[in-house]
Amino acid sequence: MATEYFLRMGDGQKIFMTKEDILADIAAGCADAADLGDIPTLSEDEMDHMLDIITAPGRIVGVEPGMEVPVTHDIGAIRIDGDQGNSGVGIPASRLVGSMIHERAFGADTMELGHIDYSFKPVKPVISQEQQTMEVCQQNMVIPMLYGAMPNMGLYYTPDGPFENPGDLMKAFKISEAQESIQKAGDHGIRDMVWIMQKLQKVGSDGVNFDTIGAAGDGDMYASLNAIEALRKEFPGMYINAGMAGELVLGMHGDLEYDGTRLAGLWPHEQVLLAEKAGANTFGPVCNTNTSKTSAWNMGRSVTFTKAAVEASSIPCHADMGMGVGGIPMLETPPIDAVTRASKAIVEIAGVDGI
Amino acid sequence: MWFFPHGCKGGCNTANEELFKTLSDAVVSCKKDDVIAAVEKAKGKAPAVELIDNGLAAGMNEVGVLFERGKLFLPHVMMAADAMSAGVEMLQDELGSSGGASSKLGVIVNGTVEGDVHDIGKAIVSTMLQAAGFEVHDIGRDVPVQNFIDKIKETNADMVGLSALMTTTLQGQKEVIELLKENGLRDKVKVMVGGAPATDAWAKKCGADCYAENASEAVAKAKELLL
Amino acid sequence: MPIAHIMASGMTGMRAAGDLVARMQFAKNMRIGEAKDFVAKKLGVENADLSDEFVMREIREDLDIGVITSVPGCAKGIAAKMNIEKLLGIDINCCDTFRNTIA
Repeated sequence: MATEYFLRMGDGQKIFMTKEDILADIAAGCADAADLGDIPTLSEDEMDHMLDIITAPGRIVGVEPGMEVPVTHDIGAIRIDGDQGNSGVGIPASRLVGSMIHERAFGADTMELGHIDYSFKPVKPVISQEQQTMEVCQQNMVIPMLYGAMPNMGLYYTPDGPFENPGDLMKAFKISEAQESIQKAGDHGIRDMVWIMQKLQKVGSDGVNFDTIGAAGDGDMYASLNAIEALRKEFPGMYINAGMAGELVLGMHGDLEYDGTRLAGLWPHEQVLLAEKAGANTFGPVCNTNTSKTSAWNMGRSVTFTKAAVEASSIPCHADMGMGVGGIPMLETPPIDAVTRASKAIVEIAGVDGI
Repeated sequence: MWFFPHGCKGGCNTANEELFKTLSDAVVSCKKDDVIAAVEKAKGKAPAVELIDNGLAAGMNEVGVLFERGKLFLPHVMMAADAMSAGVEMLQDELGSSGGASSKLGVIVNGTVEGDVHDIGKAIVSTMLQAAGFEVHDIGRDVPVQNFIDKIKETNADMVGLSALMTTTLQGQKEVIELLKENGLRDKVKVMVGGAPATDAWAKKCGADCYAENASEAVAKAKELLL
Repeated sequence: MPIAHIMASGMTGMRAAGDLVARMQFAKNMRIGEAKDFVAKKLGVENADLSDEFVMREIREDLDIGVITSVPGCAKGIAAKMNIEKLLGIDINCCDTFRNTIA
């Protein structure tokens, strides 16, 4: 009987497969990404390398010495204290303490301050508190400290916001009205995001992490890119990371453009070019994990998409490797064997500049 | 939109295949005028049921595939659905005379469970289900458990779609399923769960009938369960 | 999970030179190779030393750019970042803000 190796499903469940079957799944994942994104698949050597990573005997694997990259952690300031479904561990601690624990105890390379809701919109009414916390963090921390939040255009639509819900309008075949609502929400979002970051830059923030750009489709990306452009113009030295929500920008509007390029339907290697043009310093490519597929399939797909983005980019790419993305299982406590394997593969095969 | 549970009754010859392709292409173009013109030309050349099944509906399936591949977007899906409806409407008379039966694919109540304000993914699923021919009642986000039951009873729904984007609200899906049981509705109503933290394993654990990874899969699984 | 990533792939921040490399990526859009070359040159070490705690501990103490353990008298917070500014030849926003405050 052929030797079987343990790996994971996309939901974290342990499974066993032969080398041949694992390799076939890697190839299928790579092929899926290559087909969707119209990008090259991985070479045989690269797939073999991924197979070696997956079947490595140790529980934990790591990159070869010298290949390390900076690792940041989004929403990290509240990862310690958080207990409202944001994967926090519920230990009472201030955001300063959370940040310093990441810096001093965990060895994070960069950090970010985040609001408990982690969206830009609710930050506006509590901006003074965010400024104060940022000031205190900057006084105490040494590693780069950004402010992180999600553009989250969903909060601008009814019943949470002032603009009519495009989902409802679309279902009623009111297509132009839906598009108009998306555009208006986007313009409002730009104003909010720029205003919030103006306030935070004033008190010493190193910059901003736009986290999960495109979560609400192309309107979300439209708002984010325009906000990045405005901030870059006003703050030439500001650190700006443009992190995506998924591998594909969904076309909720369908016709929104940035600098003459339609936003809907863009894949990571196309998204990065616009992030760069808008003025981002770093780009966060994302590939969502399919929970019904194996980690071999998911890693193959994720590394293929990410590698194409890394190659197309002229700015550093910090891949998003959180729960349920980048080949990491969709589980609040992702198994360490799976995390370290995905981590090594994205660095050594996709060639990312950071995580 | 309509469902016609027939195949190529009389067999598909080459001429018919071209006819079906023209109809399908017209739907994929998302242009109502093109669909109307194509149906006008095709009328009488093949049974209405086949024109719809193998032409218009096939085109709508293709639209779904193109949406998933990022080639067509939500407005296109809705325009294509609207165009297809117009085409079907033009064939209504013939459907009656040929004895073809038409019906909705099924009735689905869709909502995001209480405590969870995420709306967009669920709205896309609703739109795609509607475009595929289901009668969809989207009851929004942060929906109290009882409201799901009330809407299911009111619409005589065949299926309920439960969305949750947070690990903390996932439990709400199970609560709806429990209340379905208490109301004696569980055997009658299929349950689909979805949202970022939902998985196949969770669907089994909470007693749902299926889990859908994305909007296209939601359509495919709804068809599997209801047809 | 962050710890798993940091252990598998990270430069371990102030344990070594991860924060310095990250700053050059953000401040000057440097890709990983270029950022490592730049920082290694400034520190007078090999690229591989940038993730080596043994090498970097002494350098960080000597340059007073912040060390990960609580060493009395070592520069911390903005003081350490002001030394990093000089080392890397970059401006750091909070240092500017601090200078403006005391001016």
